[in-house]
Amino acid sequence: MIKNYIKTAYRTLLKNKGFTVLNVLGLSLGLASCLLIIFYVVDELSYDRYNTKADRISRVNEDLKLGENNVLYAVCMPPLAQALKNDFPYVEDAVRLKNGGSRHVKKGGVNILENKTVFADPSLFNVFTLPMINGSPATALTEPNSVVLTETTAKKYFNSTNVIGKTLTFDDNIFYKVSGVIRDIPRQSHFDFDFFISMSTLPDSRSTEWLRSDYNTYVLFKNAGDHKKLEAALPAFLNKYSGEQMQAQLKMSMAAFEKGGSFFRLNLTPLTDIHLKSNRTGELGPNGTTQYVYIFSAIALFILLIACVNFMNLSTARSANRAREVGVRKVLGSLRKHLIAQFLIESILVAFAATVIALTAAIALLPAFNQLSGKDIIVNSQTMVWLIPALLLIVLVVGALAGSYPAFYLSAFQPIAVLKGKLSAGFKGSGLRSFLVVLQFSISIFLIVGTLVIYNQLNYIQTKNLGYNRNEVLIVQNTFELGNRANVFKKEIKQLPGVVNATMTGFLPTSNWKNTAIFFKDAAFDQKKALFPQTWEVDEDYIKTLDMKMAVGRSFSSQMLTDSSGIIINESAAKFLGLKDPLNKPLYRSNGGKQDISNSKEYHIIGVVKDFNFSSLRDVISPMVLVLANNPGALSVRVNTKNLPVVLSQIKDKWKGLTPNIQIDFSFMDQDFDASYRAEQRVGTIFIVFTALAIIIACLGLFGLAAYAAEQRTKEIGIRKILGASIAAIAGMLSFDFLKLVLIAILISLPVGWFLMNKWLQEFAYRVNIQWWVLVLAGFTSIFIALITIGFQSIKAALSNPVNSLRSE
Amino acid sequence: MIKITNLEKFYRTEEVETIALNKLSIEVKTGEFVAIMGPSGCGKSTLLNILGMLDDPDEGSYVFNGIEVAHFTERKRADLRKHNIGFVFQSFNLIDELTVFENVELPLIYTGVPSAERVKRVEEVLDKMQIMHRRNHYPQQLSGGQQQRVAIARAVVNKPKLILADEPTGNLDSSNGNDVMELLTDLNEQGTTIIMVTHSEHDARYSHRIIRLLDGQSVVENIMV
Repeated sequence: MIKNYIKTAYRTLLKNKGFTVLNVLGLSLGLASCLLIIFYVVDELSYDRYNTKADRISRVNEDLKLGENNVLYAVCMPPLAQALKNDFPYVEDAVRLKNGGSRHVKKGGVNILENKTVFADPSLFNVFTLPMINGSPATALTEPNSVVLTETTAKKYFNSTNVIGKTLTFDDNIFYKVSGVIRDIPRQSHFDFDFFISMSTLPDSRSTEWLRSDYNTYVLFKNAGDHKKLEAALPAFLNKYSGEQMQAQLKMSMAAFEKGGSFFRLNLTPLTDIHLKSNRTGELGPNGTTQYVYIFSAIALFILLIACVNFMNLSTARSANRAREVGVRKVLGSLRKHLIAQFLIESILVAFAATVIALTAAIALLPAFNQLSGKDIIVNSQTMVWLIPALLLIVLVVGALAGSYPAFYLSAFQPIAVLKGKLSAGFKGSGLRSFLVVLQFSISIFLIVGTLVIYNQLNYIQTKNLGYNRNEVLIVQNTFELGNRANVFKKEIKQLPGVVNATMTGFLPTSNWKNTAIFFKDAAFDQKKALFPQTWEVDEDYIKTLDMKMAVGRSFSSQMLTDSSGIIINESAAKFLGLKDPLNKPLYRSNGGKQDISNSKEYHIIGVVKDFNFSSLRDVISPMVLVLANNPGALSVRVNTKNLPVVLSQIKDKWKGLTPNIQIDFSFMDQDFDASYRAEQRVGTIFIVFTALAIIIACLGLFGLAAYAAEQRTKEIGIRKILGASIAAIAGMLSFDFLKLVLIAILISLPVGWFLMNKWLQEFAYRVNIQWWVLVLAGFTSIFIALITIGFQSIKAALSNPVNSLRSE
Repeated sequence: MIKITNLEKFYRTEEVETIALNKLSIEVKTGEFVAIMGPSGCGKSTLLNILGMLDDPDEGSYVFNGIEVAHFTERKRADLRKHNIGFVFQSFNLIDELTVFENVELPLIYTGVPSAERVKRVEEVLDKMQIMHRRNHYPQQLSGGQQQRVAIARAVVNKPKLILADEPTGNLDSSNGNDVMELLTDLNEQGTTIIMVTHSEHDARYSHRIIRLLDGQSVVENIMV
């Protein structure tokens, strides 16, 4: 029996080649898109799972609220890890990591700037699964001044991985002994380092301070459920260790501190949640967001839905042609369930073929997709372990889903009616089919709205006035390496023709340098009114070079000797402090530790700078203060771009004159800015690509349906033509049936799209409004695309000779 | 073999109710060859569909081989039908995607005959209908007469007790039509009961008895000699 079904299915499909190609192509395209997105989502979801103990590892975080300032840290106090090990028997181990920043490592005579350095406790290799190729995991990080390299790094510096005992020179004068070589950090890791330097190298790592946080701390539990126990025990634990220091420095107990509305708490993030759910201060690297995982999953689902709808629609449309077969089979004794089985098998067969094509296509397109998404996804035998069963499941589900309507609909045909030809032209009658077309187009139009809104927001980010001018600014990123000569460098650069101005500081709106301090606006040191602003050390050229505007007051000046105690605040800070006339008002900066006037520095406000964006446009501009200091972090140079290559080579020459051994590291501010929105850019591009695909798939379906409708109405068209209908009238009549559905889809999807995209925009503190033309454009685009799709078929049908169509009856 | 009593069938549309069969009573004995005639709309096809258990009556009784089937479920009717009744249609109703052999084999598949046995029986009946040489052709490759032979082969392959023929010669020229009537006569002589709906007085003459219907009622019965 099944053989007979497969045979019939195969021959039917072969007979209707055009229809089959349309159907298989649509489904393959949909599935291939879906697969690529699934690869992406699975990749995002599998971060840090390479750790065999992943389910037993958590990171300890600190939440701090001081007055109105609320900061979430991914880092904790220096002695925390050891204390956890001592106090809780179910904590098997703990490890601290401390970002080592940029270092220069010597290879031959050249210093190479390395950004991926970190200090790590010896327990690193017990907690994380970082297999060691050479060296002993137990002792590799115990001695001070030892370093463990990744495989690639070892090869880069020594052309070998057999390098235990060799020496690497850091920053020209520090020598670290290589004590181990590990495999490269897996791609799906929330941290990515090349150099692991023993924590004991860092004297600060032995600090016993409990009121500062700068160590990323991870705990390994004995059992997977233990993190709940620890989370419950953390408040008492924290009080035990930091209560005393708090009393000494803030002169209040933890309870009093919390009573005042502030808090200081510890909590845990499971290791596998870090990549998608954690976005705290002091992360070891940029993380992803669940939002995009959701968005992409939704798109994948939409596309699959559209493809399935196509499949169902085309199948049911063809059903009238199969009606006679159903009738004959019923007369010959076939039961309804046999027919259902037959159509389901047929549908599953097509789904299977489409899946094979889709898988091949997805793998072939993977490199392009990787480029698009900025991922590095590979499909290997490991992927196949879950992919093949998943695909088979998809085949069954999609096949059954797509085949169910034709199966149940066709099998319910009354044999007599069918054989008498009463059901042969039942096209208009299918409400479900209309519903499905509406559904498809609603999704497509929604995706068009989404694409336009994302595009607009990205465009807004690119063109928004950020309060500073990022164009034509060249940043020399490593002036700190010049040490004392940094100021000489700045002076020389400022004198170059083509250089408009230059400012030296590491604190830039586009850099990751961040520093906060605690300020009080009066001598009372009221904790509740503490200001917790970004505190940036800048020079007197800062405001001018970056083209920032002063709201009131003035910028720093080299002529004013008192400016070392002057301070510039931004508008947000002025608002926070409630100062109507802020000029010359004092601000007290706490030195840390004991918080009273004796342990602070007094500043007076000399100016208010207009707010400028220094973090993501997702966030509201927070209070910030600028103080005058010599910070040699980087040199930002405003250049005259007319002869940029010349200026650039002159800057390079000046650099070489000062330090021939160190390479200059520079970038352009506008590019740095763009880089920080790369995630959004990628989402935008992916959205556009997959929206286009969704629309193409929907159009394939519509094309098939239109062709079929025209075929079904051949006789009617013939009669109408004989009675004098014009070609335009007939083409219009045929098109309008579908356009009606598209119009309904527009009415449904525009409000939904408007609502959901507004929600997405809420994520941005600075955003565009959805313009009316976006909705109009989306509507017209869909009508236009539908018209092209349908129009071709309609005109073809209208042009046909009526004599032929009537004779065929 | 067949006894229907006071059979009624209505067709309802939204506004009109049409009576297709109006208290019709007919009896057909085993081995008979009965022709049903009448103008368009007299209820011939409705009657044939009910006799073939493709449709059920609204009122009245239908006893087939001693079993009351008037209100059988679809499943039971299908079961009774596939073992006892063969159909021949005016428009042949062969499945285009299946070959001659496969079309004829189909009823055997539905009645669960094993594969080897199926081949034997299909070949036997194709031989009898003289279309063995066409066994691997598709329906569109055959002439109308040949297609109707295949359809008849398919109708008889299960050795049904009753063949219902709905204008079997309607789409054929007279020569092919006569061939088909000869085939049906042969089958009847071998013991199969045949009920045939026809417009053709010529074809009706092959039968033993003509039942003439008008407005859903039997008006005349002609016994052929």
